[in-house]
Amino acid sequence: MRRNIQLRSAAVMIVSILWSGIGLAQESHVGKLAGNAKRGKALYTRYCVFCHGPNGDGRGESAPYLDPKPRDFTKAVFKCRSTPSGSLPLDSDLYDTISRGIHASGMPSWKPLLKQERADLVAYLKTFSSAFQEEKPAAPVEIPPESPATPESIQRGAQLFQSMNCWSCHGKDGRGYGPSAASLTDNRGYPIAPFDFTSGSRFKCGESDRDMFRDLVTGLDGTPMPSFASAMNTDQRWDVVHYIRSLSAHKAHTKLKIEAIGQ
Amino acid sequence: MKLKSKYTFILLCALIVLSLIWTLHGWAGPADAPSSLKGTVKFEGAPPKPSHIDMSQDPLCAKAHPTPATTEDVVVGTGGGLANVVVYVSDGLASHNFQPPQQPAVLEQKGCQYKPHVLAIQANQKLDVVNSDETTHNIHPTPSNNREWNMTQPHGMPLEQTFAREEIAVPVKCNVHPWMKGYIAVFKHPYFAVTDKNGNFELKDLPPGTYTITAWQEKLGTQVQKVTVGAEAKPLDFTFKQ
Amino acid sequence: MRIGSFKRVGLLSFGFAILLASIPSAHGIPAFARKYGLPCSACHEAWPMLNNFGQTFKDNGYQLGNDRDAPIYQEPSYWPVMFRTTPIWHRENNNRQAVDLVPGSAGSGLVEASVTQSGFDLGGVDMITAGTLYKNISFFVQPFIGNSSIFLNQAWARLDNLAGSHWLNLKVGKFELDEPISQERSLMLNNTGGVYYNYFFTPPGDKNFFSGIGLPQLGVELLGHSDNDYTRYSVAVVTDSNGATGLPSNQAYDVYANFNQSFELPKLGSQQIGVYGYFGQSPTFFQTNGGNPIPGTGMGNRTFYRLGAYGHWYVDKFDFYTFFMHGLDNVFLGNGVPANQPALLPLGAVGPTWNGGFVEAHYNPNPRVIVLGKYELARMTRQASPVIPTSTGNLDTWTVGYRWYPIMSPRAGFAWTQEYSRINNPGAAPLSGKDDIRNSYLMGFDFDF
Repeated sequence: MRRNIQLRSAAVMIVSILWSGIGLAQESHVGKLAGNAKRGKALYTRYCVFCHGPNGDGRGESAPYLDPKPRDFTKAVFKCRSTPSGSLPLDSDLYDTISRGIHASGMPSWKPLLKQERADLVAYLKTFSSAFQEEKPAAPVEIPPESPATPESIQRGAQLFQSMNCWSCHGKDGRGYGPSAASLTDNRGYPIAPFDFTSGSRFKCGESDRDMFRDLVTGLDGTPMPSFASAMNTDQRWDVVHYIRSLSAHKAHTKLKIEAIGQ
Repeated sequence: MKLKSKYTFILLCALIVLSLIWTLHGWAGPADAPSSLKGTVKFEGAPPKPSHIDMSQDPLCAKAHPTPATTEDVVVGTGGGLANVVVYVSDGLASHNFQPPQQPAVLEQKGCQYKPHVLAIQANQKLDVVNSDETTHNIHPTPSNNREWNMTQPHGMPLEQTFAREEIAVPVKCNVHPWMKGYIAVFKHPYFAVTDKNGNFELKDLPPGTYTITAWQEKLGTQVQKVTVGAEAKPLDFTFKQ
Repeated sequence: MRIGSFKRVGLLSFGFAILLASIPSAHGIPAFARKYGLPCSACHEAWPMLNNFGQTFKDNGYQLGNDRDAPIYQEPSYWPVMFRTTPIWHRENNNRQAVDLVPGSAGSGLVEASVTQSGFDLGGVDMITAGTLYKNISFFVQPFIGNSSIFLNQAWARLDNLAGSHWLNLKVGKFELDEPISQERSLMLNNTGGVYYNYFFTPPGDKNFFSGIGLPQLGVELLGHSDNDYTRYSVAVVTDSNGATGLPSNQAYDVYANFNQSFELPKLGSQQIGVYGYFGQSPTFFQTNGGNPIPGTGMGNRTFYRLGAYGHWYVDKFDFYTFFMHGLDNVFLGNGVPANQPALLPLGAVGPTWNGGFVEAHYNPNPRVIVLGKYELARMTRQASPVIPTSTGNLDTWTVGYRWYPIMSPRAGFAWTQEYSRINNPGAAPLSGKDDIRNSYLMGFDFDF
């Protein structure tokens, strides 16, 4: 019996050493910041655990009451990336999401946290999936300079919105009521609504035109929003961005810079 | 003498070459040559009636089907053969590292349906996704053991992807056309097959041994049988019920 | 939710004892935790003390800004109300209480004796309802329910993010000033250590109407902050009435301003420095009727100010508040002499000045435990009149304690707290003029639900 206990405690020790050695050895690098998973764990316990859960699987105590559901870090699938569809995100992508928050979800902006703390959190949430040890994120996608947002560009964007079948989910008028909208689920099987472009609300992965362009290239992994990486060329993507912007132009608080850009 | 030694030399060389070939082929002799395991998967009982798919939301899809397309979750051929069943070796193989075949697998989107409906490929084997439709699809595998990706594909756009890890099977969907569903079974070895429309399958080049063979059907689940493959393999049959 | 009454020993001006008697230190609003599903620890270093995330949320007008702020998003069970109550056991000791020589006999003469009181107690109940009425319009209402009284500690409405800018937020009503370190969010609850004495300091003999920056005040406040709250400012104009509702007794307005800046030091954490100042006028006499003052007629206003600097320093899991205050009251205020009768000023009278400050340290190894220590002092640098001993009014006090939060939940807050505190007022014993020393021990539960 005693031997048994000794064996068990030895096993526990080995496991915990391995855990601290491997599991928490994960680091993150955001600019000059080096995040530390051990410090990140303490912060995660303070700020994140109630939604994302102690195991990072998105099953925290508050998760049943949230819609959309908190991200499951064990899948290592992330919406907001600068990397191609199917790739892991860069550390800076996770950092940016933590800082920005996800609009129209329970995820607030954590900008009030120190930069170092946010980098530490990135390091810790990478420990929830072995994918970050086994794979490397692909190179980030390129975002070339924006083309002029002319009426012609908007018109071309409108045509692409048709031919690329954006309307099947987002609706012919961009209000998010396309014929396929009701069938959509995220990668955990929860219903997910397509974005209403007329709402003038902020986009999940950033508000700028460049963010929208990047979303078109990378897609939002874990959601039905696909990547248009090869489906459209650069000019076409800017056209779609301009068209989508025009759908919320009637909203006073949407800063549509059609005149300002390139004219 | 000189001539004789020359012949002897040639004979010796021939013997060495022969023995080398012998060696390469396997010391154990012809009894251990790989054989092929054939069989049929049957569906017992009255086959479920496939339901019609309403493709009217995308006229480009609808016009590809003069008669309405039907669902493919259970496809029973003449004589009760069950199509689209993945039959594969689930246990009994030595842990080799199998190289993926050079030949890419092809998944075609045609008439707003996946052809084939169920595809089996090897891990890291190239997968060519083809869109033969006029409309734009997005191909969206939702794996649990592989990286999830989701790509838009207008007509004619080339798209090549791979899956890194074994997974039986990765559901594939098109979010634009919610009826489009397919499966891609990914194996780390080459011993797998998908039944044809009559339920026939063939596992080729299976080395002799005792194996667990699993048959997987997307809706009807899995069945498992043990077989011993010798110089010749007896046909192996599976029967699924609703 | 202060326990018992706060009195500076022997020196009470104008009788604000009732007001001071129940400074409810509130906040930590599980109504918000419930609304967003976040745990207490997301906004509180250890509730009720805010961390920067919580401070930003508050400065944003109780909005996270993620489109989930409107109450319409919440489950029907969401009700933006919270209660806080603190059942405790405490023991109070005063080493030199004036008592009748023969208990019960009023004429037997007074002597000093050590008096100890102990027992179970309840600090009353804070009721807080707060949130957003509409996007960028927030509100806060906090009645305090005591054993025999109900009064309004705070009630205000606020227009947030005017012109779409974090730099413009306008608050109107009765509110806690944007203090360097919030009195209402003090982690200490006990009788002698539960307040920041400097916030309420008045020199001996002083008749300044103003009772300190620690009380909620009536007025307007303009507050602004950067996105991440590292830079903050606030300017408030308040009626010089210590937050008393009704027509003000005084005809004077005071101005309070506060500015702070945080920066990030590698390996240490956040560091904050700030400056503040309160500049006011207080009446020295009133219109009278048969010698009795008529409210609302205060005149002969004379000036006073409180200003200083402070910091909040993090060293990993430790953090320290440092606070400094310099105060000055006009000579008429300091001597309690009406400005229309300067002849009453004692010979050599001057405006009293003093310095004070405190250091408060926290050790917060995880969100569930916080260990506390505080040392506070005040030193008179110039007495109002030469007859007042130089050390009168000085004080030294320290507190140690901890708060333990066994449950960390978005539904309710619960803390087990233990504190010990001691204050020394040199020369303030009522009869002997020796040191007046008080000890306070408190343990109990702090419920927030």
